[in-house]
Amino acid sequence: MSGAIVAIGGTEFTMRPENEALHDYVVGLAGGGPGAVPEPLRICLLPTASGDPHEQIVSFHGAMERRGCLASAISLFRLGVAPVDLAEHLLGQDVIYVTGGSMVNLLALWLEHRIDEIIRAAHERGIVLCGYSAGSMCWFEQGLSRGGGAPASFPGLGLIGGSNCVHYSQDPTRRDAYRRLVGEGAIPGGLALDDHAAALIREGELVEVVRSRETAAAYRVERGADGSVVEVEVPSRLLPPARATTELGLAEMRELRRARSGATAGPPGPGRLGRLR
Amino acid sequence: MKEGDATVVRLPLEEDRQIVAYGGGGFSMEAGNRLLDAYVLDLARRRRERPRVCFLPTASGDADHYVVRFYRAFPGSVCEPSHISLFRRDRGARDLRAHMLAQDLVYVGGGSILSLLGTWRAHGLDAILAEAWRAGVILCGLSAGSLCWYSQGVTSFHGEVHQVRGLGLLPWSNCVHYGTGQDRRVAYHAMLRRGMCPGYAAEDGTALHFRGPKLISAIASRPQARAWCVGDRGEEIVETALPTRYLGEPQVPTRVSGGPVADDLEAVA
Repeated sequence: MSGAIVAIGGTEFTMRPENEALHDYVVGLAGGGPGAVPEPLRICLLPTASGDPHEQIVSFHGAMERRGCLASAISLFRLGVAPVDLAEHLLGQDVIYVTGGSMVNLLALWLEHRIDEIIRAAHERGIVLCGYSAGSMCWFEQGLSRGGGAPASFPGLGLIGGSNCVHYSQDPTRRDAYRRLVGEGAIPGGLALDDHAAALIREGELVEVVRSRETAAAYRVERGADGSVVEVEVPSRLLPPARATTELGLAEMRELRRARSGATAGPPGPGRLGRLR
Repeated sequence: MKEGDATVVRLPLEEDRQIVAYGGGGFSMEAGNRLLDAYVLDLARRRRERPRVCFLPTASGDADHYVVRFYRAFPGSVCEPSHISLFRRDRGARDLRAHMLAQDLVYVGGGSILSLLGTWRAHGLDAILAEAWRAGVILCGLSAGSLCWYSQGVTSFHGEVHQVRGLGLLPWSNCVHYGTGQDRRVAYHAMLRRGMCPGYAAEDGTALHFRGPKLISAIASRPQARAWCVGDRGEEIVETALPTRYLGEPQVPTRVSGGPVADDLEAVA
C-alpha cells in the first residue's frame, strides 16, 4: 500500500500554536509522538524549494526533536560539504517533509538530482510524504505556482490526481488565477487549501481535512457544466491544541528561553521578540 | 583565386562576446583581495561609465549572506548592482530576459553546478544568458559560475568527481580549483582520455578571459596562481602552463594564442 500524503496550504516551523498543532498531526499520523513507538520516528526535511535556508533547517530540527523524532535534512546546495546517499537516506525515513518556496525550482532540482524517482519509490514503500505550499502542490498533477513570477499552472509529480492551490484565502491573485484556469479547463479541478488547513490523502482519495486555525478551510474547486467555477467547502476537523505548548505553556516557554539565553527577566523588548522566532 | 589564397570572413560581434571564468576567487573566496573583481568591473566600465552588474546566486540556493556580500563588493557607488533570485521570482525583476539583456556584467556565484543548471533551465535563463552573451553582455563567475560557460566540466561538489555538461558557450572543457585535491586532476585526465574535449584548468586566484571561444588572457589575483590548457595528445595528456598576468603589479598584458595545447608555451606535465 502506498503511503499517506499530507498536503498543507501553508505553515512554518516557528513555535506558533497553529504550526505546532499541524506538526503534532503529521508526527501522530506516522506513528510518532511521545511514547508511541519503540524507535524514534525518522523524519527528513527537503528544503529544496526555498533554497535550503539554514534557519529553516534549524527550526525544523527544533520542531521535530521536541516531538522525539530523529530529524534530518538534505540540502542539495550543500551536498559538497555534507555528502549523502540520497536514495538510501530517503528510503530509510518514516516521513519526508517538503518545504514551501518555488515549485518550479523544486521540481527542476528534483529532476536534476533524480529525487523524483526516489520519492515515487518512497511513496510505494509506504513512507509518509508531507509538505506545505510548494511542498503540497508538488504531489498533485498540477499546482498553481508563483515561482515564475506571475501565477501560472505547473505540473507536479502526479501522485495525486487533480490540481492543488495553496494559500487560497491568503493570496487573492493566486486564488483568482487558479479559479480562472480551472474554469477555462486549462487544468483539472482539485483541492484549494488555506494556510493552516491540511488534507490527508491515501491512495489518491481525500480521507479528511484538518485545520489548526478556526478560520482555515479547504475547498473543492471544479469546472461547472457551463464553464463556470464551482467551489464547495470541504468539512474539516479543528485539531486539538499542540501538545508541546499545552504541556509547558507559552509563557513558561518564553521564560525558559529567556533564562537559557541568559537575558534578565523583564518586559520583552522588540529585539527579544525578534529572537523568539 | 589561386592556390593558397583564403577567403577571410569576419564574424560580426565575435570580439564583443566576453567571458571571464574564475578558477576560484573574487569577493566570495578572497576576502580583501579585489583584483579579479576589479578586472571584470573595468571591462564592464568600457561599456558604461556606471555599469550594470547583476549577480546570480542560483548555485548557492540564493543564500542571503551571499547576496549581501555581493552588494558590499559591488556597491552602488561604483556600479548599478542588482541580483536575481530564482527562488523568489514573485519579487524582483518582472521580465527576466529584459533585465539580463540590459546588463553590462553578469556575475555568477559558486555552489552546486547541477542545481545551478537545473534551475536555470527551469526558468529559461540558460537561453537568456546565451542571448545576452551574443549581445555583448560580459559573463563572469567562479567555481560553478565558471564551469557553466563551458561545454563540459569537472565537478566534485557532490562528493565524487564527475563530469557535467555546461551551456557550451565556450567549446572547451573546464576544471576549477585545480591543484586543490589531486583526485580532481587525475579524474580530469581520465575524462580527457575517454574523449572529453580539451580545455582549461584554473587554480584558485586565476581567471581566464575569453573573447568569443578564444582565450585572450590568463590573469591572477595571487602572484603564484597558475592556469593550464589541458589536452589529450594521443600518447599522453599534456598540461601547458599559460602565461599568467598577476594583476597586483603593473605589467605588459600577455596574449595567448589559440585554444588548448599551445606548443609555444612551457609544457609542464
